[in-house]
Parts: sequence; structure tokens; C-alpha cells
Amino acid sequence: MCREVSIEVFRYDPGTDSSPSWRKYEIPFEEKNTVLGALLFIQEKLDPTLAFRYGCRYNRCGLCSLEVNGKPRMSCHSYLEEGMRLGPLSKLPLIRDLVVDRKGLFQDLAKYELFIEKNTDNTVIFEPEQGAKLRGCAECLSCLAACPKYSFGSDDFGGPFLFVKLAQLHFDPRDKKDRIEQAHSLGINLCQDCKKCYCPNGINIYRDAISTLLKVKKND
Amino acid sequence: MRVESCDVLCLGGGGAGITAAVTAAEYGANVILVSKEPLGYGDTRISMGLTSFPGVVEGDSLELFYQDLLKGGEYLNDPELAWIMAEMNPFGVQLLESYGHLFQRNNKGLIGSDVAYLIGGHSLPRSIGCPPGGGISMGNALRAGAARSNIRVFEEVLASSLLCSGEHVAGAVCFDICRGEVFLIRAGAVIIATGGAGWLYYPHTDCNSGVNGDGYALAYNVGAKLIDMEQVQFMPFGLTHPASVCGVYVGEPSLAAPKGLIRNRNGEVILSGLGTMTRAQVTNAMAVELSRGGGTEYGGLLLDLEPNLALPEGRQMWNVRKERGQLNIVRFAYGEDAYRWKKPWDVTPTAHYFMGGIMVNTSGQSSVPGLYAAGQAMGGIHGANRLGSVSLAELFVFGYIAGKAAAKECIGQKPLDCSQGQEEAAGNIKSLSGRKGLYSPLVLQRRLQKTMWENVGIARVEKGLRTALKEIEEIEETCENLKIASQISYNRDIVHTIEIKHMLTVAKLITEAALMRCETRGAHLRLDFPEKDEKNWRRNIIVFKENNNFKIQSEAVKF
Repeated sequence: MCREVSIEVFRYDPGTDSSPSWRKYEIPFEEKNTVLGALLFIQEKLDPTLAFRYGCRYNRCGLCSLEVNGKPRMSCHSYLEEGMRLGPLSKLPLIRDLVVDRKGLFQDLAKYELFIEKNTDNTVIFEPEQGAKLRGCAECLSCLAACPKYSFGSDDFGGPFLFVKLAQLHFDPRDKKDRIEQAHSLGINLCQDCKKCYCPNGINIYRDAISTLLKVKKND
Repeated sequence: MRVESCDVLCLGGGGAGITAAVTAAEYGANVILVSKEPLGYGDTRISMGLTSFPGVVEGDSLELFYQDLLKGGEYLNDPELAWIMAEMNPFGVQLLESYGHLFQRNNKGLIGSDVAYLIGGHSLPRSIGCPPGGGISMGNALRAGAARSNIRVFEEVLASSLLCSGEHVAGAVCFDICRGEVFLIRAGAVIIATGGAGWLYYPHTDCNSGVNGDGYALAYNVGAKLIDMEQVQFMPFGLTHPASVCGVYVGEPSLAAPKGLIRNRNGEVILSGLGTMTRAQVTNAMAVELSRGGGTEYGGLLLDLEPNLALPEGRQMWNVRKERGQLNIVRFAYGEDAYRWKKPWDVTPTAHYFMGGIMVNTSGQSSVPGLYAAGQAMGGIHGANRLGSVSLAELFVFGYIAGKAAAKECIGQKPLDCSQGQEEAAGNIKSLSGRKGLYSPLVLQRRLQKTMWENVGIARVEKGLRTALKEIEEIEETCENLKIASQISYNRDIVHTIEIKHMLTVAKLITEAALMRCETRGAHLRLDFPEKDEKNWRRNIIVFKENNNFKIQSEAVKF
């Protein structure tokens, strides 16, 4: 008999279930299988009703973020291990099973004007290296799940995702708004010395985004 | 049933869809954009971000770029569309930057010759990048551009069919995936920007999971003509294992330059000098070897990059790729030695892009009144093979063209009556939930994908194509007997059902066109007709539906 990997997956339909449950699944062992590989196996072979998002299958699209043993991870580039517990990103409203509601994040782009003005002159541009780095943010929203202070829907504290957006714009020579001021009005001072934000794609959110927005204000 | 109304309805939330929607709004239209995934999370985002930008290197010109497009496309291109592509390419690049993207600059702050890459099939370096974010930065910028505009965005909504008022397209039946709701959108014009159909070849595709060819089927079902659907570009180097990353892209021919080799299972060299070859040339050579039984236990061939390490420029290439993060996936799947090019990579071609698509005129208008297409969903620009990095610029050029034309057509027009067939079309989706049949729609997708890869993939013969047509027909019949879950929110069975119907339609169009083209040209390799037939086949293949019957015909190219 072939070896199996046993995992638990969070199942909950807020519309019909009285409470969430953790369901156990056995996945045939495969060398270097991923968490996403396990979810795809469950959907195809065991239970097509399992709800989860995914897109590119390796580290580009930012859709397959979830929590592995309570920590935010991308399911496509996390190797599958025995005994893992897979749950949804905890800080966002749940739709069903592993799927959270991401729509609010798009609405925030308009609400906080997280874009450059129209008709900028793009001919000669010097972008700092930090800005280019932050352009690699896959918008997977894992950082929100790792943040101890973020709460969805609260205007008091923007959270690391918005702070990365603000820093991206701060570093963009075309942007005219005062993003540092904006970051402070969204409570970035609460981030001082916290450093608990985490990015599964290797962006150092505290160093490259948050500390820049914090530091400049202090020196004013 | 909820009914929404707009002037312009744009289907698709990637580069072409967002550009079309934002442009239509700028020209005064009331716009709704519908995206099957969260907005901006599709193939544009997962691309490497290399974008054509002719003219950065001395000696380059629009005319030379245009000639490269035709030569690369083996002269199946629509010359008018290819010329627009060349002429408006610089504009497209600027348009994307105006949403917030930034391409890499040199030390003078300019997009100059020193930041341009040479990619296979281009006669000069004219591809610009944006490391380290690549397409991710484009996706972010597109979302920002959409948020800046006054368009209404419906995320995770899928169109199941188009509605017409007489001959004119007048809206769509839509399914909201998160809410489980069927609703209608009435529109004066519809732009299809849903991308390609790489997922027909899953797992052998590097496309995003939503890329099922929905737009081709929607357009075909209302009578639109589609062109050269047999021309499916397979990127030569995709992973073969482990299963969860099979098909993921690891590089294009230029990756192997200057000294990389492709070997078969016995270590025999089957291809060298890859750096200057087009994607189609490399893929076709690999397909021939695989069909001879030269493949490994994983169904791949061995890409041996180690010879490059003997040369300073080869070692430099390794560094460049490492810096850009392009080798991480190889370390993840094949380990440290493969990452360092000390061990060959097991690779097989992977479905990447559809050159074919909805036939449009120079305004992006299809053969059906009120129906437009842009981006990969449209066909004709690239003929039989697309040159690297042009597909991204294409999104912004043709998204802009379609958005502008659609807005001009319908602003100030009275809303059309789309009640014809709407109840039935909506009822078809509403009645899916909780069906107690035998077959899982996802398993049917897998069955179709298997036959497409085996019989309508990188190497085709008449017998295999006929096998595929038979299999498609059988799966169609099986679709009458589906087992569908009854959850309201995020019911993937319903999504998979809408998709499998679209996929079957598109699979048939590809297979029929592949059967008709009795030659080998560009991405279309017929092992039973291994030569290019210039005398008989400088022709485009057009498919459409007439009086509810499938029609196929060929037309001389427009040169």
C-alpha cells in the first residue's frame, strides 16, 4: 500500500453550518507535493465541494494564500507535510471553507486614492530600488493575517497591505500626494517596533515599507 | 432577477479588459467590468512582464518590427492588425505606465537601448522589463487604474451566455460565484477580453486556472467568426513534475543561449543553438522527438544548460536569471543541482497563448454587431506564431482600441431589448444547483484536457484529431448527466459546469481547424503533413455558427 499524508482542512459554510469543523483527509504521498497539490487532489478525487482559490500554481498570482498551522502561507509553494492544518486567512471575512472575501481590498484602492494622478510625464524617471522591490507585492493578503493589530473594516488602522501600497506610491516619483501623512492618519504609528508582519514572497515589509513611512515623519 | 444596465460591458479583468473598460469610461460610456477572478489576478499578472517597445535600439523601426511580426507569424497574420500593433506599441507602453506601472530605466532615467532584451524571433533588442515584480506590478497598476476610473467592477463573476436583440449583442447572463446569484447585465456593446484557453491543456499549461476560453465560446455561440484557432502556442520549457506544478513555465528558447542543449532520454542531443529560434521551432522539434518515444519517464526531454557554465557570458546569464528569481521554481521542483544548471531539467512544452481568436476589424469589432474583442481573446495579429513580449503590449493597444470604439458606438443610444431568450438562458444556470446525475463537471474537464493534450497538442495527426472529436462528442453527451453540489456561495461545480460547456465548444473549434490545416506552419505541427504548403495554405481558417450549424472555411490571407 502506498504511503499517505494525513491533513486537516477547515470546513465552514456560514450560510448553512452551525459551526466550523476540521475535516481529515488522506492524500497519497508524492515527492515534493504541495499544499495546493493536496487541495486539488481533494477537489478532484474526494470532495468537489471544498472551496479554495488558486491561479498560477507557482508564486505569481497571489490567489492561493491560506493559513498552514495558523501561519499565512502560499499553498502553491509550501511542501505538504503530515499533520498540517489548513485554514483560511484569519483576518478577512469568510465566504466559505478556505475562501475569504477580498473585495474590500479593491474598494480601498479607490477609497484611499491609492493610484497616481492621470496624465503624468513618464519620460525621465528615477525610481528608488526600494520602490522597485515593493512592486513585487503579489497582493496575496497574507500580511494581514500575520498582523496582530489589523481588523477588517476598521478605519483606525490600515494594516500592512495598505502600508505597502502607500510606500509603493511614496517611492513613485510621479505620485504627488503626501503618503506619509496618509499612513499616519491610518495609524502606522502602531507599527513602531512591532515587526510581526510577514510576506511569503520575501518582501521585508517592515524595513522597506513601514519603517520608511514611520521614519520620515519622526525627522520632520 | 437582478438586472444591471450599462453602455459598455467588458468581460475580462486582465490587461485588455481593464484597459478597454477604463478607455470606454474615459470616452464617456457607463461601464461595467466583469472579472471571473479577483480583478487583475489573471495571466497578465503572472507573466514575466517583458513587453515589446520598438525603437529603443538604433536601427530599429516600426516597419522592421512589423516585418518581424509577419515573419514570426509565418505570414498568416492580418497585416492591418499587425501594423496597428507595431505603430501603436509605444502608445500602449505609455498607457500602462499611466496607470502606475514603471518599466526599468537606465541611469539616465530613460527606457534606453541598455535596458532592452533580445528575444527569439525579434531581429533587434526591443523587449523591456520591470524586475523584480514583472507582471505582478502590471496587475497592481491595472487594479489602480481601474480604481481611479469610474467603472463599476464585479469581481468573481462569470458570464455564461450573451444575449442579443435581433442580430445585435445586448447583454449577458452572469453568475456571481461568491453569492451564488444569477443576474443579467444589459449593455449597448460587449467587449470580450477573457484571454486565451490554455486550461484546455491542463496540467500542461502555464496559464492561470480561469483561462478556459470562455470568451471564444460566448462569441461563437452568438455567431461571431473566429480565426486560426488551431494556432496554439506552446512554450517549449514547462515542468513535468511534481504534479502540482506540472506545466509551470521555466523559460523560453533564449534561456538556453548560448550553449544550452536539449537531449532525449538516452542523452542524445536533439537540438542546439536554441537562442535564435522561435518558440514554435523549438517546441516542434521537441514534439517530433517525443512522438518518436524519446521522452523521459515524466514525458519530458532534458534541457541541459551546463555547457553555458564553461563560458563567462553563460555564467553571467545564470546570475541574471538567479537575480530575477526565475530559477526558484526549478530549485523547488528539481533541487539544488538543477538550480545551479549542474543537472538537466526535465521539461515538456506547455500551452501558453492562443494566436487564434475572435476575428475583428481595425476597431476591434467582431462580425456580430455590438460585439468587440481585445487581447488574447481576439485573433489575427500574430498569425501562426507570436513573438515573445508582444502579447503584453497588445493588451493595452487593442484594449484601448476596442474600448474607444465600443463607447463611441453606444453612447446616447437607447438601451436594447435583450429579453429574447433571457429567461431560458438564466434558467439553465439556476437549475444546475443540486443536480443528482452521475458525472462531476471537474472530472469531465480533466477528461477533455487529457484528450486535448494527447491528440490536439504539440504534435497532431488526422487519426488523433478524429479521436478527439469523438471524445468531445461523448463528453458533450455526458454533460446531460451531471452531479452538482447545492452550496450557494462559491459553488465550484456550477463554475466548472459553465466552463466545461465553453471548453467543449472551443476544443471542437481547435480540433476542426487543426484537421483542416493539412500542413505544418507556426505552432501547428501535423506529423502527417510535416512541410509548410505555401501553394495551398497561405490561408486563414475561419470557424463560425450559422443557423445553429458549425461552419468552417478558409480564406486567402490579406496580403
